[in-house]
Amino acid sequence: MTGHHRYDVLLDTLGPDSQRETKLPDLERKPDPWESAMQATCECLSWRGTLDNLERRNAEDALGETTYRDFPVHARSVVVTAHELMERGAFTADELRARMDQVRERINRA
Amino acid sequence: MSHDHDHGAHDPIQASEGVSEFEILERAVRELAIEKGLFSEEDHRRFSEWAESIGPSGGSKLVAKAWTDPEFKARLLADGTEACKEVGIDWLDPTGVGTPSDYTYFYVLENTPEVHNVIVCTLCSCYPRPVLGMSPDWYRTPNYRRRLVRWPREVLAEFGLHFGPDVEVRVHDSNQKSRFMVMPMRPEGTEGWTEEQLEAIVTRDTMIGVALPHADWTASGPPSAAKANS
Repeated sequence: MTGHHRYDVLLDTLGPDSQRETKLPDLERKPDPWESAMQATCECLSWRGTLDNLERRNAEDALGETTYRDFPVHARSVVVTAHELMERGAFTADELRARMDQVRERINRA
Repeated sequence: MSHDHDHGAHDPIQASEGVSEFEILERAVRELAIEKGLFSEEDHRRFSEWAESIGPSGGSKLVAKAWTDPEFKARLLADGTEACKEVGIDWLDPTGVGTPSDYTYFYVLENTPEVHNVIVCTLCSCYPRPVLGMSPDWYRTPNYRRRLVRWPREVLAEFGLHFGPDVEVRVHDSNQKSRFMVMPMRPEGTEGWTEEQLEAIVTRDTMIGVALPHADWTASGPPSAAKANS
């Protein structure tokens, strides 16, 4: 299921100065630890029956080339997973924005 | 807990340094998913721990079984993803011996006296993790990825593999949809061995294609001490 909603809470994660990638990914780039954590989240969602891996991959292809085409490829997984979970009613955009505010405050605490 | 090491030796960690909005989004999604009961913290931790610990034993099983069972070998070469289930690896099921990867097509490439296969991912680091575990550091380096597709014999020679002009070297570039693994040729001196004995000599590098299996090498100990099946 890849709805046609455009979630501002997700679109806002892309900085205003970001530009669509126009060349191959940086060969020197190493994945960030959060990307591994995201992969584990995806596997748990598939394992427990909420979002099948293959469905998610198809959604990444579909949404990554349309709604979220300006996002870097390495961010597709988290953005599309969040999108799909909201489409499925797992949580709302308001809940996600509020939780992101909490996480941001927690991480940035001195 | 004792905590008296020298803090002056390095700069203090900056709490918010380098935290992107994507990382914040990842944490928020995970926390909400757990809060809503979609999975548990323990599920996530166990999966991460397990995914980081699996090695190439699944691939070794596939090759050893194919070496001793021609019918299985035919099935493996025809449909790698399906044949994996016969050794307990389901690319769609992370709860079994399963996968810390996404579902992809999986192709097993058979080496012959005339053809040697080797795998790479030029774009990033795609690797058949359900069967080989985490990729080695060198596999992810630009040096390997960039040069293997252009000068494969030169790169293989740096690993100690030298082929004459009568052997065709084929480089297979992995991607988001397709993963590859090499099935090396069974070495001399292994006649009559059991599958378990054979598994021990099918090392990670032989299934990437940068090494050949030998009857006296298992990679389970230091090279100076190793003697397979002794």
